[in-house]
Amino acid sequence: MNNLSIRMEGVSKRYPHFLLDNICLDLPEGSILGFIGANGAGKSTTIRILMGLVRQDTGSVEVLGHPMPTEQIAAKQDIGFVSEDMRLYGAATLAWHMNFVRSMYPRWDQAYADTLVRRFDLKPQQKVKGLSHGQRVKAALLLALARQPRLLILDEPTTGLDPVARREVIGELMSVITDEGRTVFFSSHNTLEVEQISDRIAFIDRGRLIALDEKEDLLDRWRRVRLVVPNGIRLPEIPGVIDVAGTERLPVLTTSQFDPAVVSLCQDRGATVEAVDSMTLEEIFVANVQSRRELQTA
Amino acid sequence: MNQPINYAVVRHLILKDWYLNRWLILGSLPVGLGALAIVLTGKQVAFMLSIILLCMVIVGVGAQLAMVTTINERKEQTLAFVMSLPVSWREYTAAKILANLIIFLVPWLLLTFGALGVLLLPGAAHGLVPYTAIMAVEMLITTSLIVVAGVITESQAWTTAGIFCSSLGINILGYVFAHVRGISTYMWGTHVQWSSTAWEVLICELLTVPLLLGVTFYIQSRKTDFL
Repeated sequence: MNNLSIRMEGVSKRYPHFLLDNICLDLPEGSILGFIGANGAGKSTTIRILMGLVRQDTGSVEVLGHPMPTEQIAAKQDIGFVSEDMRLYGAATLAWHMNFVRSMYPRWDQAYADTLVRRFDLKPQQKVKGLSHGQRVKAALLLALARQPRLLILDEPTTGLDPVARREVIGELMSVITDEGRTVFFSSHNTLEVEQISDRIAFIDRGRLIALDEKEDLLDRWRRVRLVVPNGIRLPEIPGVIDVAGTERLPVLTTSQFDPAVVSLCQDRGATVEAVDSMTLEEIFVANVQSRRELQTA
Repeated sequence: MNQPINYAVVRHLILKDWYLNRWLILGSLPVGLGALAIVLTGKQVAFMLSIILLCMVIVGVGAQLAMVTTINERKEQTLAFVMSLPVSWREYTAAKILANLIIFLVPWLLLTFGALGVLLLPGAAHGLVPYTAIMAVEMLITTSLIVVAGVITESQAWTTAGIFCSSLGINILGYVFAHVRGISTYMWGTHVQWSSTAWEVLICELLTVPLLLGVTFYIQSRKTDFL
């Protein structure tokens, strides 16, 4: 776990209407990182830089020990990449695609590819243009996985899938990921599927990385505290409060640094703690983004 | 800084483009062969018509192939798939240029040497040999220009503009060369006469092709975004 699969240090990339700003991100080998951001937050730009397809203006990027984009060929020998905006050749069959990718990867595992064909219920002789969107995603996953990558980079692979196909793809993805124990960089704006798969979470918003943490730590630290505060009672300073909703008598505090001691502290001051609610990853993401944006505009 | 070109990867990429466009390539063969058969009849009118038909097939297929292999890769979003493989921009660029130029060069060489051979037959206008060679190389430049426009811009509009300029250019230059004193004087003679003017034009044309390709690699090396 000490080796880093991904190391980004002060990475910036400027476009006319967008700035990816000073991204610093380390991903240890064997981790599964969920990379969450709204549309246009900078997820795809970050991933393109990781793949060596876009050159950063400043900062350094290392993927599997290779500086990018200069050593992208060596790095890509060990990367499986599936992106929402990546298409296979419609006029060619899945079998042709498998042969084509195999010709580029000496470690291609045909037996594993055949297993995935059966598991994903695909037909190798079928042309890609005849496949459903869900089948195309599965075909792309197969082509990425059978090359035995040490790092799997998935850029919103489930976008555009219907709920059934999405569940199937996520289910298959979870099973193949647990099969292998490889490093996975999984980008999505669907927090539910990221929560299912990942052990680390990163939030990106408006080109800035606003959080990077272990998933369990993140979920443990964020709480919504519902209080009843009688007239004349002043609440103590509660660390990490990023939002206060509700009324003066019935406030609802959202904190990013919850400590159980806060409950007794409030009770000592005469307030009643009605509930301490866990937050979903989506709620944490939205609260985090909103508070950052408010800070930026303030 | 740049890793050396992996020629095996370039070969795989070329074969991929040929396989995906096999019907376009194979479909042009009967037309080309038919036109070549008419050339071999030796009749003057048929010769001229079939040469025009052959040129249309060669340039047309070259332009179409360039459009399909370079622009469609981006338009149909297959570029991300190719560039996710262990492929560098140099290998990608080399493969695109070679895939297109090799397909062009096979019929082009046949046509060029076929036409020159016919012109050298007894009784033919041997003086047309320099002009024919110059125009044949002009066709090579035209196709190279279309290919590099496609590779560099990956844009249908710019490549179409390249095709338009090339078509216009070949006609204008054909007219100009036919009226340049050092070439026109000997065109209808019975002997092959390579004047210094004809040599200069031919050498300039031949240098233009590697220059175009060199500029392409330079521009590609300056690109920071490949998706």
